[in-house]
Amino acid sequence: MFDDQGVTVSEFVEALNQAFETVFPIVNIVGELANFRVSKNKWVYFDLKDEYSSLKFFGSVFQLKGPLEDGMMLKVTSSPHLHNNYGFSMQIHNIELVGEGTLRRAAELLQIKLTKEGIFDMDRKRDLPYPPSKIALITSGQSAAYHDFVKIINSRWRGLEISFIDVQVQGEIAPSQIVQALNYFNVHSDNIDVLVLTRGGGSPEDLAAFNTEEVTRAVAASKIPTLVAIGHEIDISLAELAADKRASTPSHAAEVLVPDIRVVETNIKNSRNYLNVRTKEYINLVAQELMQQSKDLYSLTSDILADFTSLVTHRMEILRAYNPEAILNRGYSVVRKEGKVVRSSAILKLNDILDISLAKGSVSSQVKGIKS
Amino acid sequence: MSDSKSYRILNEELEEVIQKLQSEGLDVDEVVKEYQKGINLVETMEKYLKSAKNKITKIKPSKPA
Repeated sequence: MFDDQGVTVSEFVEALNQAFETVFPIVNIVGELANFRVSKNKWVYFDLKDEYSSLKFFGSVFQLKGPLEDGMMLKVTSSPHLHNNYGFSMQIHNIELVGEGTLRRAAELLQIKLTKEGIFDMDRKRDLPYPPSKIALITSGQSAAYHDFVKIINSRWRGLEISFIDVQVQGEIAPSQIVQALNYFNVHSDNIDVLVLTRGGGSPEDLAAFNTEEVTRAVAASKIPTLVAIGHEIDISLAELAADKRASTPSHAAEVLVPDIRVVETNIKNSRNYLNVRTKEYINLVAQELMQQSKDLYSLTSDILADFTSLVTHRMEILRAYNPEAILNRGYSVVRKEGKVVRSSAILKLNDILDISLAKGSVSSQVKGIKS
Repeated sequence: MSDSKSYRILNEELEEVIQKLQSEGLDVDEVVKEYQKGINLVETMEKYLKSAKNKITKIKPSKPA
């Protein structure tokens, strides 16, 4: 190919690119970020450098997992390429942050950016249904986190339906698997009450997935209320800040989610006692009221009866005074003709038969003479 | 409705009953009615806590949703 007559520029560029593809199809390069810039919100340019060398990189904004700034240490998966006009650059396939300092700084930058968007606002936080009935669990099935969570939840509560998606919680594919699981549950929510995302503690690199923009945004966007528990007490990831509620460890997440059955059983016993005691109190109160009313009624009736008795006695005395027998006892007589009292001699005729009632006994007599 | 969800509702209903009984001015018929309701709830809740079990189902999302 390369004979004495020479080759064209384009032929050489093409040949060089073929050689790159054969020798370095993909290469991971670690270095310090410099001259980072984004063009037209679309293209990313930066250099990676070390003490002696510097290399140019080129890619698209979609390959950025979060904000970057010069000075960060990156491991960039890329392919060498010679552009026919613009010269040599490494074409970016993937960018990873390297080292605790870089990870922390990246999380800080992302936190500032997302805070401005309101992703972590307290007024976005929703209450978790308590106790839930259906839980979606996202974690690594082989992890201590999974076993701790399940152990504690089984010791505390009953009747839960837990749907579980096994994901990688660290490494390059962890963020996309976690986001996929979050999206799956949100699409197939089927009355899920709470979505739990958890893993145990680890180094900053181990926990890096939970500080990525894609995971943090997916947690914040979840329609299902979220509980995120990553690592130990001291680590707080951006995914936890975006969650409706956070817990410090997988075990703590289980404790936050459901009550302790022993406490609940005691509470139920207390409720039963309360119902009994309160109802007895109520019924005693009503019984006392009834007794009082009955007493009042008796007392009122007695008063009325006494009044009535006194009235009757008085009337009896009056009646007694007017009793005809009393008059007869005083020597008066009652004269009747044919059963009717005779008050005047004018109605009498000679030989009429008269009945005369005395105090004791009566006399039958005949009229012998009449005086007016 | 699942058992656990009904537990949450049972618990809410029991709290309502207790609140009603705490209030003044109920007549005796209402008190007896609420008492009966409360005792039924308590018994259902106790039975639930004794018999219900947790169930874990592993899901494999086949494609990105």
